[in-house]
Amino acid sequence: MYDERTSSLLNILNAATRVLVILLSLIVVSVPFVYLFLNSVKPPQEFLTVPPTIIPTHLTFEHYAAIFDPNQDTRSYFINSVVITVSTTIISVLIGSLAAFSLSRLKLPFRLSSLIAFAFLIVRFYPKITTTLPYFILMKDLHLLDTQIAVIVAHVSLTLPFVVWLMLTFFDELPRELDQSAMLDGCGPWQRFIQVILPLTTPALLTAAILTALLSWNEFLMASSVASSNAKTLPIAVSSFITDKGVQWGPMSAMSSVIVVPVMLFALFAQRYLVRGLTLGAVKE
Amino acid sequence: MGVTSAPPLQIEEAPISRWQIVRAQLGEKGMLVFFLIPALSVLLLVQGYPLVYSGYVSMVDWTLAKSPTPGGFVGFANYTKAFSDTIFVGAIQTTVTFALAATFFEMLIGFFLAYITVGESLFLQISRTILIMPMVVAPVAVGTLWRMMFSARAGLINYGLSLVGIGGPDWLGNPSVALTSLIIIDVWEWSPFVMIIYVAALSSLPTEPFRAAAVDGASRWQIFRYITLPLLVPVTILVLMFRLIDTLLTLDIVYTTTYGGPGFKTHTLSFWIYQQGLRYFNISYAAATSWLLLIACLTIAIGFLIWRGRVLARQS
Repeated sequence: MYDERTSSLLNILNAATRVLVILLSLIVVSVPFVYLFLNSVKPPQEFLTVPPTIIPTHLTFEHYAAIFDPNQDTRSYFINSVVITVSTTIISVLIGSLAAFSLSRLKLPFRLSSLIAFAFLIVRFYPKITTTLPYFILMKDLHLLDTQIAVIVAHVSLTLPFVVWLMLTFFDELPRELDQSAMLDGCGPWQRFIQVILPLTTPALLTAAILTALLSWNEFLMASSVASSNAKTLPIAVSSFITDKGVQWGPMSAMSSVIVVPVMLFALFAQRYLVRGLTLGAVKE
Repeated sequence: MGVTSAPPLQIEEAPISRWQIVRAQLGEKGMLVFFLIPALSVLLLVQGYPLVYSGYVSMVDWTLAKSPTPGGFVGFANYTKAFSDTIFVGAIQTTVTFALAATFFEMLIGFFLAYITVGESLFLQISRTILIMPMVVAPVAVGTLWRMMFSARAGLINYGLSLVGIGGPDWLGNPSVALTSLIIIDVWEWSPFVMIIYVAALSSLPTEPFRAAAVDGASRWQIFRYITLPLLVPVTILVLMFRLIDTLLTLDIVYTTTYGGPGFKTHTLSFWIYQQGLRYFNISYAAATSWLLLIACLTIAIGFLIWRGRVLARQS
């Protein structure tokens, strides 16, 4: 389809060059991932040969077996990651969309609603390291260090801004007549939220949930500060390979793959929602 | 399904007193306020309170290794101390160099990628899905991935270079190359972010100005230069702001590739503060320097948002 908006530069590059450049960039993006997966199934003795073995002579799943070995800590890190991601997603989407609904419907004096919405937004802009330290001390004083709860609460706070703002834009667009007619039918705010509003914003909820899960699954800074051993997540576990374990490329690749693959599959199937979440705020749709 | 006429519902219209209306409205408002409480308490507990607390801690003398409780008030001593700390000042230089270089190339490459992949054909959609992979996977995993790519002896990059007769450097271990390697990693990871935003921006541009220009016989270059580019200025300011702030705060990939080394060559501010706070437990010092970083980030955010507001006002 001819589109005046983008044709100007595109015709300067002719179509063939364009496809070629796209293919080239696809290679640049994929090769490191392929290398990672190959390393995760490479026998240990093939790592340090010179020249390096790129394609393993035979496949081995021992690194994965080591990760999922019931006697190994990595198994519990995996479980931590899953529990923390799922809990964070449920809590953040639930309380975030509740707050967004409230902010879009509530008329508070002194533009308080806008101020609160802004308070959520500002979390996106300052260094998390500033709040991580006091949060660490707070959790220490509450004897919650190294618990899943400490990580979940931290992740909820990090993901709330995204959920609140995403849902706020959607709730603001829903006609108020919907609320009013439900109100006349005797529905309280809770019933309206659950029965009327939420079903209409399922795509937005899905976007919020996907983005939240992604951020929580990948998060490093806050989790690493409050979870030193028992509540460690996979990103924390994989980061420790550089400090205390020397060169262990096999297990390191396997663990990285375990972190990366679910997200890649996710991105593949939920690309539309994901992109909408990631471009949130920058472009009005 | 057959349509049967149901008997008309008998609705008893009870007279509504003024009191009932007031109560209903109070209940409505109270309930809505109640909805805010869970999210707001998490925000206050994990972000609000720590923010205030770190501001307080930055002005006292407190090293967790020496004392479990904060010491006496020292004013801005921790802040002034930072600026005479050569490692901290070095970290500022490293971070600014990193942020400017990474942001520059990400904007350039991201915009270019957007321009060539915008469109709805299946090939373009699949290409975009693959191209966003670096930014959706965990940054720590990106770090480990590139540690292996960049490994001097067994890495893929140097192997590739050796095939064409070039002896590659020790990408992450050589003091004069390490920061460049980190910039390459960040550009690989985040150019896709710039790309998807420009793709969305390009696809939502209004069509009328382009039609009009085409009718007026404007050349392709003229259209690009005088219509497309100006319309993209507001979104460009926003992406620039996000990338500048995020590159100033880079931590994860430093942690998993160079760990700040060799020497202090790749000590970014975030990494330095992380070390001070969570490794050496110099709580006050870390808090003070983290506030300096916070002020820098908020200044950038406010400055860029004002700039964007002016551009938008001028355009409308």
